[in-house]
Amino acid sequence: MPTTNRPINAGSSMNDDTSRLDGVAKVTGAAKYGRDRYLPNALYVALIRCPFGAAEFEGCNEDAAKAIHGVVDVSVAGKECSYHGQSIGHVAADSPQAMVRGISALKVKWKRKSVKTRISDSVKENPAIGDKAKSILDSAELTHEAVYSTPVQTHSSLETHGGAIDYTGDRATIYASTQGTSSVKDGLSGPLGLSQSDYEVVCEYVGGGFGSKLGGPGKEITTAAKLAAKYKRPAYLFCNRSEEHLDTGNRPSSRTLVRVGFKKDGTILGGEVRVWGGVGIAKGGGGANIPSGRYQLGDISKNSEDVSFNAGGPRAFRAPGHPQAAFAEELMLDEIAAKAGIDPLELRKKIVKDKIIQEMLELGGNLIGWKDRKPNGSQKSTMRTGYGMGVTSWGSASPGGEAEVVINRDGSVESRTGTQDIGTGQRTTMGIVTADAIGIPLKMVTVRIGRSTLPPGPGSGGSVTSPMTAPTMTAAAKDAKKKLLNLLAQQLTLNADDLDIKDGQVTKAGQPLLSWADACSKLPNEGISSDGGKAESGKGGSQGAQFVKLQVDTETGVIRLNHVVAIQSCGKVICRKTAESQIIGGVIQGLSYALFENKILDRNVGTMVNDNFEWYKILGPSDMPHIEPVLWAKGQTGIRALGEPPTIPTAGATACALFNAIGHPVRNLPLTPDKVLLALEGGVA
Amino acid sequence: MPDNAPPSSRPDMSPPPPPVQPAAGSTCGSGCGCTRTNSTLVAASTNITPEASAAGVVSRRFFMKTLGVSAAATGLSAGADARAASLIGEERRIDGPPIVGPDPIDVTLSINGKAEVVKIEPATTLLHTLRMDLNLTGSKEICDRGSCGGCSVLVDGKLVNSCLMLAMDAVGTQITTIEGLSKDGKLDPIQESFIRHDALQCGYCTPGLVVACRAILNDKPKPSLDEIKTGLGGNICRCGTYTNIFNAVLEASGQSPIMDQKGV
Repeated sequence: MPTTNRPINAGSSMNDDTSRLDGVAKVTGAAKYGRDRYLPNALYVALIRCPFGAAEFEGCNEDAAKAIHGVVDVSVAGKECSYHGQSIGHVAADSPQAMVRGISALKVKWKRKSVKTRISDSVKENPAIGDKAKSILDSAELTHEAVYSTPVQTHSSLETHGGAIDYTGDRATIYASTQGTSSVKDGLSGPLGLSQSDYEVVCEYVGGGFGSKLGGPGKEITTAAKLAAKYKRPAYLFCNRSEEHLDTGNRPSSRTLVRVGFKKDGTILGGEVRVWGGVGIAKGGGGANIPSGRYQLGDISKNSEDVSFNAGGPRAFRAPGHPQAAFAEELMLDEIAAKAGIDPLELRKKIVKDKIIQEMLELGGNLIGWKDRKPNGSQKSTMRTGYGMGVTSWGSASPGGEAEVVINRDGSVESRTGTQDIGTGQRTTMGIVTADAIGIPLKMVTVRIGRSTLPPGPGSGGSVTSPMTAPTMTAAAKDAKKKLLNLLAQQLTLNADDLDIKDGQVTKAGQPLLSWADACSKLPNEGISSDGGKAESGKGGSQGAQFVKLQVDTETGVIRLNHVVAIQSCGKVICRKTAESQIIGGVIQGLSYALFENKILDRNVGTMVNDNFEWYKILGPSDMPHIEPVLWAKGQTGIRALGEPPTIPTAGATACALFNAIGHPVRNLPLTPDKVLLALEGGVA
Repeated sequence: MPDNAPPSSRPDMSPPPPPVQPAAGSTCGSGCGCTRTNSTLVAASTNITPEASAAGVVSRRFFMKTLGVSAAATGLSAGADARAASLIGEERRIDGPPIVGPDPIDVTLSINGKAEVVKIEPATTLLHTLRMDLNLTGSKEICDRGSCGGCSVLVDGKLVNSCLMLAMDAVGTQITTIEGLSKDGKLDPIQESFIRHDALQCGYCTPGLVVACRAILNDKPKPSLDEIKTGLGGNICRCGTYTNIFNAVLEASGQSPIMDQKGV
């Protein structure tokens, strides 16, 4: 059944009507995630973690923990810890209750050490301007110098990291919560003590990942695997909510200094950008993508370095390095526009490089009602309205991964690939492209994904899953169809070139020839399968533009989001509903980053003070504006990236809208009421 | 929907198992780490009888609340909870309310219209009982402290975070979980509407949100958008499905979904 509430997107996809194939499993609670796998006789495992930002392990009462009824294994490797949540061992027990009692009985003693918790603990002042940038600024009519900063954002996947391992001695099944079914398989042979042919990684459903579940099995699944092998029984290790905030990656914090010179007409001459990425104890991974390359910013130089402090390190997080950069870049542009006295939408139309984005700016401005925007800071009422905008883009990917299509004698069709569906709709898009390529209704296709015994597919990262797997699956389906038609032609002594399949009917020269069931009944016992065919190559990148309208209560500093228009291109859309959902979801994560999210560390002891969902706030239903996802279908070909681009510009656009409403920029995410009030008083927030 | 009989009596509460008898002077034997002696254990255990519970005496949880040690509110671990119970047993053993545990007890719960007997430690939450003892894993553990709504169930028709309720305290109530919303393979209209509007992505928060939406519709047959937002205030979704959830509720209640613009 189609939905009619987004007429602007009608007809924009290969399949406008289809609902997610795993919808029933997910709305009834039948879908089994890794964390739902409570296996008989399982060991329950928890990691022992440092409660401080920096501390030396001084000892613990291992015997007391081992004496707890039900505790099976206690292991502590004493060492220096340099972040809250760092693990130094584990407790394994017959039940979760015994596991918790074992952990608390340990009574670990720590000697605290001094900590650094922020970029500003190391970066005290701005470095002197470079010679080239200085000469640009000296000769410019107008200049802008500012520091933009963003906090650490945690992925906050609702299913935490971990796995349940069904170990039978000579075989194992690993129920993993992962974005890389194949890569988890690759890392477990040693810990399990089994050859790769003797175990299977299963990941039919994943409760969110957003980048944090890419790569190998991680310490959670590895620890469980070792214990399963040691005790020859199933093992279960999933982080709790606190551990998830502390030790499963994050979007690093950033501090961005910009110094630019520009003309009165808004032409940006150049200058310099210096970025500091807050990477915790990691050595790198803090880069921010500014200048983004989406705008003509003149001759701008960049210097980037990472700053370490006592916190867990970053991991890839939905468009790594982009949202923090877009926040700085978009707000910088609005400040430049304000100084030049020109409309920020007009400034962007002038300097944005991509022609499609230029067209999107026109459409988005109309959809959000940009004509009603009042000049920055011109409103005097208590409630003030603001409009902001930002743009996004993403690169291309080539086809890849492996896929197999099987046509059985009973007419059923299997679409098989090992990739996992992290919520994007991978299961559904695989079904749609298979049905489309063969020419049969979707309901005849069974999609099998999320198993390491299926043809291996890519990890769900970099927005490449659809661009890689959809062409590969399409090619396999087309090849299977060709094999079927050749076989029929042979049996019926017809010319295969005259045969086709349409709406589940085999046709000859356009006329119905055989029903699907009759055609498939002529297949050999084993049916036919194909994992070949030449995949159509990639067609380029994706573009987008977003517009935010909000209201600010100048007495309380509270921001109320009203309306977001998010226009996005992504090539040929496979499934309209899931594509719209990707855009809406990206916007919501961006809004949440703009207004609420902040991993706060105690500056004295380095302990995260909001390691839960009461105090680490993410956007909730009552914070929601009306969000309009617009699929840009004009002239689009190929399957392109969609997962990451829609979350890039949202926080920047929101900050621009706030600047418009109150006339003062808040250059420091999240845009909390205290900062809004400070800015209203003319302070630097 | 289930009737709204107040849970004044607890006829389903089975007698407790015989107390464990650890060696004198040892720990209590339950593995909870406490150093309670045998006599306390006996006093604590014998304090609960079917008669006492049938008489509707104050529940242990209520008693704990009066001491300010409500397990859920303070986030006590299961072990700590049991220790708190033992503290009550020692100091108020005669005059206090019935004390059960810390050893597992048989509890009968009415879930999705079916009586289910489970053997659980008294400090076990309804959520863990559903997930681990009954394999009803649709209710998700996400925060385990009442701040996400992922474990939402209906208890006598009212929306409850099952991570904040002890299973024992649900005795005598009618519990509906996500698994009980669809009957004989026929989905609840709100479930149909969720699928149609793609009001789900990874699906992990979805069961809790579906149950919360059902609670809204039970309360208000035609909720306004603001009422929907308020009604879902206890739920969060990380993928960002709220827009489509609002439309799913509107449509399931016979109202028009929020229209986007036609384009300019």
